[in-house]
Amino acid sequence: MTLGEPTQVQQEEPQPVGIEPSDSAAAAELVRTPMWRVRLRLFRRSFARNWALFRENKMGMFGLVLIGIFALMAIIHPILMSTVWDPKVYDPVTGYDAVLTEYEVVEEVTDPTTQIEVSEARIKLNPTIKVGDTVRIPAQPAPPTWTGENPHYLGTDPQGRDILSQLLYSTRAAFFLGAVAALTTVIIATTVGSVAAYFGGWIDGGLMRFADLILLMPLLPLLIVMSAAFDINMVMLGVLIGILNGFGGVAIVLKSQALSIKVKAYIDAAKVAGGGDWHVIFRHIVPNVLPLSFLYMMFGVTEAIAIEATLSFFGLLNVPMTWGVMINTAQANGYLLSGTQYWWLLFPAGLAVTFLAFAFFIVGRGMDEVINPRLRAR
Amino acid sequence: MIRFLARRLVQMALLFVVFLSIVWLLLQAMPGDISDTLVGNPDIPREVRFELRQRLGLDQPLHIQYITYITNFFRGEMGVSFSRYPADVSTVIWQHLPRTIVLFLTATVFAFWLGFKSGKLIAWGRGGRSEQAFILGGVFLQTVFYPWFAIVMMWVFGFYLGWFPISRFIDARLWQGSPYDANDLFEQMILSTLLVTVVYVVGRVLIKRFATTVTMEARLRQALVLVTVGGLILFWYLHPARTYVADIAHHTVLPVVTLGLVTFGATMLLTRSAMLETLGEDYILTARAKGLPDRVIRDRHAARNAMLPVTTSLVLSLAFVIGGGIVTESVFSWPGTGQLLLQAVMVSDIPLAAGILAVTGVLALVGHLVADVLYTVLDPRIRIT
Amino acid sequence: MTISVANLETRQVDPTKPLLEVDRLVMHYKIKAGEVSAVEDVTFTVHQGEAVGLVGESGCGKTSVALSLMRLLPNNAEYVSGQIRLDGEDLLQLTDEEMRTRRWKDIAMVFQGAMNSWNPVYRVGDQIREVLDTHFRGQMTYEQQREHMERLFAAVGLPGEMLDRYPHEFSGGMRQRAVIAMALACSPQLIIADEPTTALDVIVQDQILKELKRIQTELGMSIIYISHDIAVIAEVTDSLGVMYAGKLVEYGPTTEVFARPKHPYAYLLLKSTPSITGPRRQLAPLEGEPPDLLAPPTGCRFHPRCPFATERCAIEEPPLADIGGGHRVACWHWEQVPDLEEALLR
Repeated sequence: MTLGEPTQVQQEEPQPVGIEPSDSAAAAELVRTPMWRVRLRLFRRSFARNWALFRENKMGMFGLVLIGIFALMAIIHPILMSTVWDPKVYDPVTGYDAVLTEYEVVEEVTDPTTQIEVSEARIKLNPTIKVGDTVRIPAQPAPPTWTGENPHYLGTDPQGRDILSQLLYSTRAAFFLGAVAALTTVIIATTVGSVAAYFGGWIDGGLMRFADLILLMPLLPLLIVMSAAFDINMVMLGVLIGILNGFGGVAIVLKSQALSIKVKAYIDAAKVAGGGDWHVIFRHIVPNVLPLSFLYMMFGVTEAIAIEATLSFFGLLNVPMTWGVMINTAQANGYLLSGTQYWWLLFPAGLAVTFLAFAFFIVGRGMDEVINPRLRAR
Repeated sequence: MIRFLARRLVQMALLFVVFLSIVWLLLQAMPGDISDTLVGNPDIPREVRFELRQRLGLDQPLHIQYITYITNFFRGEMGVSFSRYPADVSTVIWQHLPRTIVLFLTATVFAFWLGFKSGKLIAWGRGGRSEQAFILGGVFLQTVFYPWFAIVMMWVFGFYLGWFPISRFIDARLWQGSPYDANDLFEQMILSTLLVTVVYVVGRVLIKRFATTVTMEARLRQALVLVTVGGLILFWYLHPARTYVADIAHHTVLPVVTLGLVTFGATMLLTRSAMLETLGEDYILTARAKGLPDRVIRDRHAARNAMLPVTTSLVLSLAFVIGGGIVTESVFSWPGTGQLLLQAVMVSDIPLAAGILAVTGVLALVGHLVADVLYTVLDPRIRIT
Repeated sequence: MTISVANLETRQVDPTKPLLEVDRLVMHYKIKAGEVSAVEDVTFTVHQGEAVGLVGESGCGKTSVALSLMRLLPNNAEYVSGQIRLDGEDLLQLTDEEMRTRRWKDIAMVFQGAMNSWNPVYRVGDQIREVLDTHFRGQMTYEQQREHMERLFAAVGLPGEMLDRYPHEFSGGMRQRAVIAMALACSPQLIIADEPTTALDVIVQDQILKELKRIQTELGMSIIYISHDIAVIAEVTDSLGVMYAGKLVEYGPTTEVFARPKHPYAYLLLKSTPSITGPRRQLAPLEGEPPDLLAPPTGCRFHPRCPFATERCAIEEPPLADIGGGHRVACWHWEQVPDLEEALLR
């Protein structure tokens, strides 16, 4: 064993990762590509990865499928209206069809959808009608009919309008409202959150206090009172909901997200490189907050649909036809407690609201699992 | 902790003033003068209308009106109701408020208890078919169209099964000619429940002080529960008005359960994810190593810590419960402030509507504060720093 | 200082009698990609009153062994074969409930990063009382429990009133001591200390180790130290085991193993600490990385990195063979190991 002399130990040169020394051409190529194309490529790659993750979530995929079905419904309606359906009969708001329904004349009515009392029949048609006769009387709301000149697959409402047509037409309204509300929320909340996080100080304090206030106000009662003061239509409603949500809880969550980005090194780098405040906010912070914003957009749509339907159910909105209006019509004409007898007045609309809200919600949850890895099944 | 609460209270009060101002602005946004609406009301003579304008301060400049409105509110004066003239807005609200509060509280407690328990159990169970079913159920209940759901509930349990009355607060026929006033009895019910709760809390504190062993403490606690709950039930059982009380209670069940069901889904899902996170913590492994029984680990260690984020979210669900309460009251014809609000809006009784909105804001504020207090009580790291 | 309240007393130890016998323990983790061979054929014995050390790199399986002893493994772990005998009773044959009653009472554990062993919402005293309520239910009054806990705290050098505080009011070192106090609460026969002093500064480290040693000898407890810090282990243990890739490659009296390691891995591991006082010499580098336990190497698991590896090492696994004086080695070429230093320096 030799001591006192440092011995040479063989060591290999560490290899640089990725770029082979001979591949300078590729490296140069990379540098020359414009920034936006690089970004696009990265975006597509991460999107593909996230999509693969999302696909594993069965519920999320189911939600997407549901949304797709509803989208189809929305698209089909104008097609049907301009081709197969006669507007005079099928228009969701102004159509009218007094469907001739067969009734059995009886002493005492047990099922009003198939029976008619003898004295009523005599008044409506002619006095010679006897118990046991079968008569045909135009009636609304009419139960579903699948045959005849103008089939009504889901029946008609108390004003003689086709339920299916109403259902399909309202889908468009629902998507529209959801989009307006969610987009407004996200735009406002992202901006508010990013600005508050970036500037800090009293701007932050003020915005957060304001958000506290918004959180304090329960949305439904406020909208109810507003509807008394103003005539609210779809666009207004969407914007209102969007504003109220945008400045509230969502802004707070997005602000924490923005904060976690703000402290990252590349923000300082951007500032040192001379980027102005707004440049940093919109080019660096906002794009990283966006995935989370997108998530809340899903939940925003859910909420908007539910609120609109509830307000329409109370008859407080100035909208021609939505699912909520359909239920309201049923209630205003006293058919609500009929249970299964006039089911087509209540169930299609109610289920439509439920399922569309449900669909957006589980898509949101599915996205949540992609963005928040901790929630994934262990 | 007291300092923290005092600070929060002041913050909340300030926020509320801003809220009230917004309500006032809304009032001003209504087209026309408030008293103009009264013109159409044939019951109100012209001199009275003039006096009303003076009383309401409508002939004063705008900023004075604003200040008066705010100060009046804190004094409890919210104007006169149009649709129930000459009743005060505050009187009308006060008549209806206890019922709404009972609906809220009971539904919230029910939803929280059910949601927390189920979320805790399915998180502990670590997967399986039943977990998927529960999650699906919880999500469904959260997104179902509430008015539709309430109608279906009413139809199934009220109509079809006949288990519960369909609507209203009491059965009018039953109460005809009875010596009791429904509101009075209702208030008595509330008071007795409050009393029992206070007795329970005090009892628990005393037991903690004076018990000497674990087994003795456990037995005393069980006895306390028996005495308080049993005492309450016994008291009302022996009370002469018991059929009427039972009627009130009977009418309360379905609205509370319906509202509770749609709220519990959110709590359950949140509890589940909070539990899953907590279960990964080191102290859970330590608890297992200590040889503690499963139930103790799940409840005393995991669930207790999972409660923290759930409590925070209680605040958010508050807004939902308030909105849901309005729908519940409407569908079940439950005579609370929610139904009152809808009625007021229908007939453009602006003072009443605005008054209810303001009171709702107060309720929300109180709810916020309670959640804050609860959180500080639950998490010693905030209490003691 | 003695701790003796109720039925917790110092015990008489017979250092020749075995307390815990780990007999050819094999444990695998089941994951999506397959089975991870985490503990493979590990055999050693802890005698009454003995302090045993287990050293090795991260991921070598020492913590898995510790968790196996208390049956605290996660759901996807499987005991493939072997026995763990405590006082002659095989712990692996017990039901869950029976094992639960033995935990902490017979074997207690001080975890890695023990600072986080505390539930933040309960007072420290209440959390210690939990074990007393669980294992000695109805046998102690609140007063007696309090007395006992105060003595436990005194034994680790903590003031009694800290029992009423919350964990976040303790410093890191204090929390560690409190964890040790809690481990002693039921006067177990065996304590497993997994990295008890990592994340503490050296002075506190030293204090805690001395405390542990003192308590251990006074109470006649056995203790298993697990660490990657050889200097720490060498000071406080009577026997030392070296683990690599889930296998126990060397085992024997600490003085022997530490001064004259016979397994190439053990040698490289133990000799990798530079000596302040000794002659200057080159640090012997250990090349490569520990193997993937999903698909471990054939034969001796160390052979891909071993300077002495021959063809035989890749085919036949060397058993843990006795080479005299209680010293066991699992290597075909252990006799050549003292030449290692020369071989490396050439």
